[in-house]
Amino acid sequence: MQTATENRRWSKEYPELGTGPVPAESCISPEYFELERERVFRRTWLNVGRVDDIPNAGDFFVRELAVCKTSILVIRGKDGVIRGFHNVCSHRSNKLVWEERGTCRGALACHFHSWGYNAQGQLTGVPDEENFHDLDKSKLGLTSVTTDIWEGFIFVHLGPQPQETLTDYMGGVAEQFKGAAFHKRHLTHTYKVEEQANWKVALDAQNEAYHLPFQHRYSFPGMFVLKDNRYLRLSGVKLYNHHAVWSTTYNSESTPTPTGALMNQLNTATTNSRLPMLGDFDFFVIFPNFVILQFRGIEDDYYMTYNFWPLAVDRCIWEIKFHFPPAETAGQRLSQEYLKHRICDVLQEDAVAHETLQTGLNSRAKTHLILQDDEIQIRHFHTVLEDYMGFFNGRGH
Amino acid sequence: MAGVSLPEPFQSLEPFGAWALATERERRAKRLSSSMEEIQAFYDALFPQLEAVVAYLDQFPLDQLPAEAQPLYYLTLSLVEVTSAVELYHNPHIFEAIEPARFRRVE
Ligand code: FES
Ligand SMILES: [Fe+2]
Repeated sequence: MQTATENRRWSKEYPELGTGPVPAESCISPEYFELERERVFRRTWLNVGRVDDIPNAGDFFVRELAVCKTSILVIRGKDGVIRGFHNVCSHRSNKLVWEERGTCRGALACHFHSWGYNAQGQLTGVPDEENFHDLDKSKLGLTSVTTDIWEGFIFVHLGPQPQETLTDYMGGVAEQFKGAAFHKRHLTHTYKVEEQANWKVALDAQNEAYHLPFQHRYSFPGMFVLKDNRYLRLSGVKLYNHHAVWSTTYNSESTPTPTGALMNQLNTATTNSRLPMLGDFDFFVIFPNFVILQFRGIEDDYYMTYNFWPLAVDRCIWEIKFHFPPAETAGQRLSQEYLKHRICDVLQEDAVAHETLQTGLNSRAKTHLILQDDEIQIRHFHTVLEDYMGFFNGRGH
Repeated sequence: MAGVSLPEPFQSLEPFGAWALATERERRAKRLSSSMEEIQAFYDALFPQLEAVVAYLDQFPLDQLPAEAQPLYYLTLSLVEVTSAVELYHNPHIFEAIEPARFRRVE
């Protein structure tokens, strides 16, 4: 159980990031947000779901990507292949599928004139086809979106030509998670919070542990190792090309709540399924808007994901997913329910901060964010962002 | 679901039948609409027996709970729902949180 108590340790490991304040303009400028659509969200791989979301041929889900001004249909074909398409009818561009998820049995029919498409995105039916001029159905399938899969996570790329393959884009994170047993943990709970906050304000607020002993003093007391019993310090930080991870260590001396103690005892799972973890809690930020959180459990490790979906410069959707191993017994299920319950309370506090931070930034009373050493991952995130945006070095003006 | 009947050793919990709720949504609503006294009474009744209740439930595979064990199982899930109210907040509500309805569960 090692937690860094040496001051300003991470900036010594990553001196190239500097130590100065970070401009806040990126979180409030409408001009910046418009550029982000093109320079970030059309130039990176975006996580839209998992293969387990659509296990059978014909299963699909739809993703509203407001930031890219499109809706994406991700569907498993009869051949088992998962493909992504713009959710747009080839006839006159009506939105094709209106459900959030479902299964295509036979054909997906457009609501306007009922053009039909199969699960491979091919146009199969056109009512009154004889009355069209030179209609070649084979050329009028749905418009594909570049889609690829990494460790069971489905990503799309909306640019004309991805600069890197998905695996190259994942870089060191791909090495860290090689063969990770994500598939042994099912999606058990999903939550969505629509927030009056820039997507980065929400993400930055989650992307550190400094606030835990303060903002969450009632909901999450003493769970992680503290310096001088007062301040949380990270046990690890790794900064990759685009992505980053930080970790914390459980405090073995903290007294659990009565229910917490009992839950550890009641969880009699024997699955003992582990994830490749760096600490007891790991927070991976996959640039730009995807997060994988891993938790060390007594019998099993768990993971969660966040996706921060921009809606406008000051609005986003925070999507939260819990993945637990399938519970075999009531005791196991209950201890999962308990962990989820505790975390959900913490996240409902977090959401308040996302909006009060945004309110403060909107006032322009301050021009910069001041970051401490254990917030270096936020500094890194804004550095990667600026590499894509080139806003402050002049390309944006 | 008041007037619930529970298996033999746990009949003392029957007065708390209104907490035997199948979904998280219902359990959350019940917690938020209950007074701290009601929550405390439910916690005080079930918590000391929780180990025994779980031992009883764990005789069965979770997906094959007999019908008479089902309400008992729901009670344990409701206990988890109120545990922080009792042990941490001394209040049914989280200290400084967004309006509960905005934290939307997607089914
Ligand atoms: S727009 Fe889809 S069938 Fe006409
Ligand atoms: Fe937090």
